Amino acid sequence: MTATIIPDLPVFVVIAPLFVAFVLPTFARRMRLVEALVILVGILGFLGALYLASLVFAQKGSPLIYSLGGWQAPWGIELKAGNLGALFLLVVTGVSLPVSLFAKGNLAQEVGGKERSARFYVLYLLLGGALAGMAVTNDLFNVFVLVEVVTLSCCGLVSARNHPRAAEAAFKYLIMATLGSTLVMGGIGFIYMITGHLNMEFAARELASIWQHSPHVVWMALSFILVGFGVKAAVFPLHVWLPDAHSTAPSPASAILSGLAVKGYLICLLKFLYNVFGSALMQEFAVDRILVLAGAVAIIAGSILALSQDELKRRLAYSTVAQVGYIVLGLGLLNRQGLAGTLFYLASHAVIKSTLFLAAGAIIAATGKKKVSELSGIGRKMPLTMAAFTIGSLGLIGLPLFSGFVGKWYLLLGSIETGKPLPTVVVIAGSILCATYLLPVIRRAYFEPAPDTTNADWQDPQDPGFSQKLALILLAAIVVLLGVVPGPLLELAKRAAAELLLLQ
Amino acid sequence: MKDFILKRMAAIILPFICVYGFYVILHGHVSPGGSFAGGIIVGLSLIAYSTIYGIAKGRAKLPEKVLVWTESYGTLWYGLMGMVGIVKGVPFLANKLAGVNLGNPGTLSSGGLISLIGFGVGIRVASTMVTLFFTMMEE
Amino acid sequence: MKELFGKLIMNYPYFAAAILFMIGALTVLTRSDLLKKLIGINIMESAIFLIFVAGGNIRGGVAPLLSKANSGAVYVNPLPSALMLTGIVVSVSVTAFALALIVRLHRAYGTIDLQRIAELRSEVAMDDSNHHT
Repeated sequence: MTATIIPDLPVFVVIAPLFVAFVLPTFARRMRLVEALVILVGILGFLGALYLASLVFAQKGSPLIYSLGGWQAPWGIELKAGNLGALFLLVVTGVSLPVSLFAKGNLAQEVGGKERSARFYVLYLLLGGALAGMAVTNDLFNVFVLVEVVTLSCCGLVSARNHPRAAEAAFKYLIMATLGSTLVMGGIGFIYMITGHLNMEFAARELASIWQHSPHVVWMALSFILVGFGVKAAVFPLHVWLPDAHSTAPSPASAILSGLAVKGYLICLLKFLYNVFGSALMQEFAVDRILVLAGAVAIIAGSILALSQDELKRRLAYSTVAQVGYIVLGLGLLNRQGLAGTLFYLASHAVIKSTLFLAAGAIIAATGKKKVSELSGIGRKMPLTMAAFTIGSLGLIGLPLFSGFVGKWYLLLGSIETGKPLPTVVVIAGSILCATYLLPVIRRAYFEPAPDTTNADWQDPQDPGFSQKLALILLAAIVVLLGVVPGPLLELAKRAAAELLLLQ
Repeated sequence: MKDFILKRMAAIILPFICVYGFYVILHGHVSPGGSFAGGIIVGLSLIAYSTIYGIAKGRAKLPEKVLVWTESYGTLWYGLMGMVGIVKGVPFLANKLAGVNLGNPGTLSSGGLISLIGFGVGIRVASTMVTLFFTMMEE
Repeated sequence: MKELFGKLIMNYPYFAAAILFMIGALTVLTRSDLLKKLIGINIMESAIFLIFVAGGNIRGGVAPLLSKANSGAVYVNPLPSALMLTGIVVSVSVTAFALALIVRLHRAYGTIDLQRIAELRSEVAMDDSNHHT
C-alpha cells in the first residue's frame, strides 16, 4: 500500500483536502464526524508534507515531478515538489492543523450555528487544498484556477459570520480580489501568447530567448502580474480590502487568511517572477527595484497605520500589511541570503500571525472586548493565551531565539549585500515600529491593574478550552522551535533560494 | 387552466432537453460541448420545470438533500475515476495508461474514462445550477 | 503610416479588449452601486476572455474537429478557448457569490449603494457607543 501511495504524494496532498471538502456537506449535521475528518486530513496532510520534505531534502536538488494523467511536460499539467514546494507545503499543513484544532473549540458560537460551521469547514478544506496546490503547481493556468479557488473560499470565510459588516467586508474583498485575478489572468494570457507554453519551465526557456522581440508584451505581462498579485497579497497602496476582511472574519479564518492565504499569493508571485521571468529579466525590467521600493513603503506605512488602530484584530491586520512588505522587499533583493531570508520569514510569519490572531480571538471570545485599551490586566486572567500572544509578538518583532529573528537576520544580510542603504535601514526601522505597536498590548495586559470585577459587563475571563489551548501551545512552540533550531527549514529555504536564482 | 399550453408543451419537450443534456455530457470528447455545457442544459431543463410548474413542485422533485448529495458525490465520482490510475500504479487521472480500452476514434468509447468523468462533472454542474436557482428564488 | 493603420485594423480584437477592460475597470472603481461594480467586474473579465480567444485564433482556420471533410485544413488553437471556459465558470461562481452577498447587504441595510451603507454603518456605530456610555 505505501509503495503505491508514495510516488503519488504530491497529488494526494492537494486532492485529499479537496475531495473531503466536497463530501463534507452530505453529513453537515454530524459535527463530531466533520471535525474529526478535518483534523484527520490535517494530520495526514502534515505527515505527507513532512515525508515529501524529507524526500526532497535527501535528493539534494532534483525535484519530484508528477505528470497528471501520464502526459509529459509541455502537453500535460505537471506538479513539481522541489525545495520551494516542500517548504510551502510544510508551512500550509503545519499552520492549518493547529488552526483547525482551535476552530473545534468555539466555532459554532462564532459563526452562529452548526450548519454554518460545517460550511465553514468546507471552505477551510478547499482553501487548504488550493494552497497546497499553489505550492506544487508548475503550470501557469493552474495557478490562476488555484488563485480563484483561494479567493472564493477566503471570501466565503470572511462572510461566515452572520453579520452585515462581514458581508460588506467580503463583498469589498471579492471585488478587489477578482480585479486582481482578472489582471493575473491577463498576464498569463500575454505570456501564453508570446511563448505558446503554459508549463513554467518551457515558458521561461522560450521567454529568455524571445523577449527582445516583443519587450512591450513582456512589460504588459509583468505589470499585469505584479499589480494583480499586489492587490491579492495586499501590497501597500493596494491593501485597502485587507483590514476589514481580516478583522471581521471569525478568528480561525483570520489566522488562516493572514497567515496562509496572503502567503499563497506571494508564493505564486515568486514563482512567476523567478521561475517564468527569471532574475535576469527582472533586472532588465527594473522589477527588483520596484519590489524593494514597494516593500519599503509597505513596511513603514503599514506599521504606522497599525500604530493608530485601537481594535486589536485591526491592528494585527495592518501589521500583516507591514509584514507583507518585508517579503516583497526580500523578493527584490536578488541574492541568495536575502531570498533565503524571505522564504524563512514567510514561513515564520505564517506561524506567528496565526498565533497572534488565535490568541486575540480567544481573548475577544472570553471578554467580549475588541479594543486594546480595554484589555488591562488580561495577562493574569488568561495566562496561557497571553503568553502565546507575547511569544508571537516577540517573534514578530524579531528578538533572538524566536523564529522572526532568523528570517530578519538573513534579510538584513541580503540587504547589506546589495550595498544600498534603503532596504537595510527599512528592515531595522520596521522592527522598531513593530515593537511600538505590539509592546503596548503586552504592557497593558501584564502591568496594568484589571478593572473592577464587580462591574457587570466584565465577567471573569478564563483561558479557552483544551483544544484551543493545545493549538496555541503548538503554534507558540513552533515559533520558539524555529528560532532555536532553524536548521532544516533554513537549509530548505537556502536551497530553494539557490535554485530560484539559478545558482548551484 | 391558464398555463395549459405551456404545461403540456413543457411536458413534451423537457424530457428531451434533459436527455439531450446527458448526450452532450457524454459526447464531450467527440463533439462540441462537454460536461459543463451539457450539465448547464440538464440544469436548465430542471430550472424550466420549476418555473413552469411552480417552485414548490420543483422543490418537491428536487429537495435540498438530493441536490447536496448529487453535488458532493458527482465531484467525488471525478476523484474516484482519477484514482483508477493510481490503483493501477500509473499517475492520477491516467486514461490509456491505466489500461482502459480506447475503442474506435469518433465513437463514445474512444474517450475511455473521459465520458465517465464528464458524467460526474455534468451532474455536479446541473445540481449547482439548480441550487443557485433555488437559492436565488427562495431568498 | 498606412502600414501602421493596417496593423491596427488587423488587430481589432485586442483594441476591443483594451476598451472593454477600461470600461470595466472604470465602472468597478468609480461606481458606488454594488450591482454596477459587479457588472464592471464581468465586463473586465470578458475583455480578458477576448484577449485569450483572439490570441488563439488563426484567420481562415477551422474549428479543430477531426473529420474527413476538413483534413489538411488549418485548425485554430483550441486551448485558449478551453481555458476560457474555465475562466467563465470561475466568473459565474464569483457573480453568484457576489449576488448572494448583495442580497444579504440589501436585507441588512435596505440599500445597495456602498456610500449609503458606509453612512448607515457609522450611524449604527455611533448609536452603539452612545448606548454603551
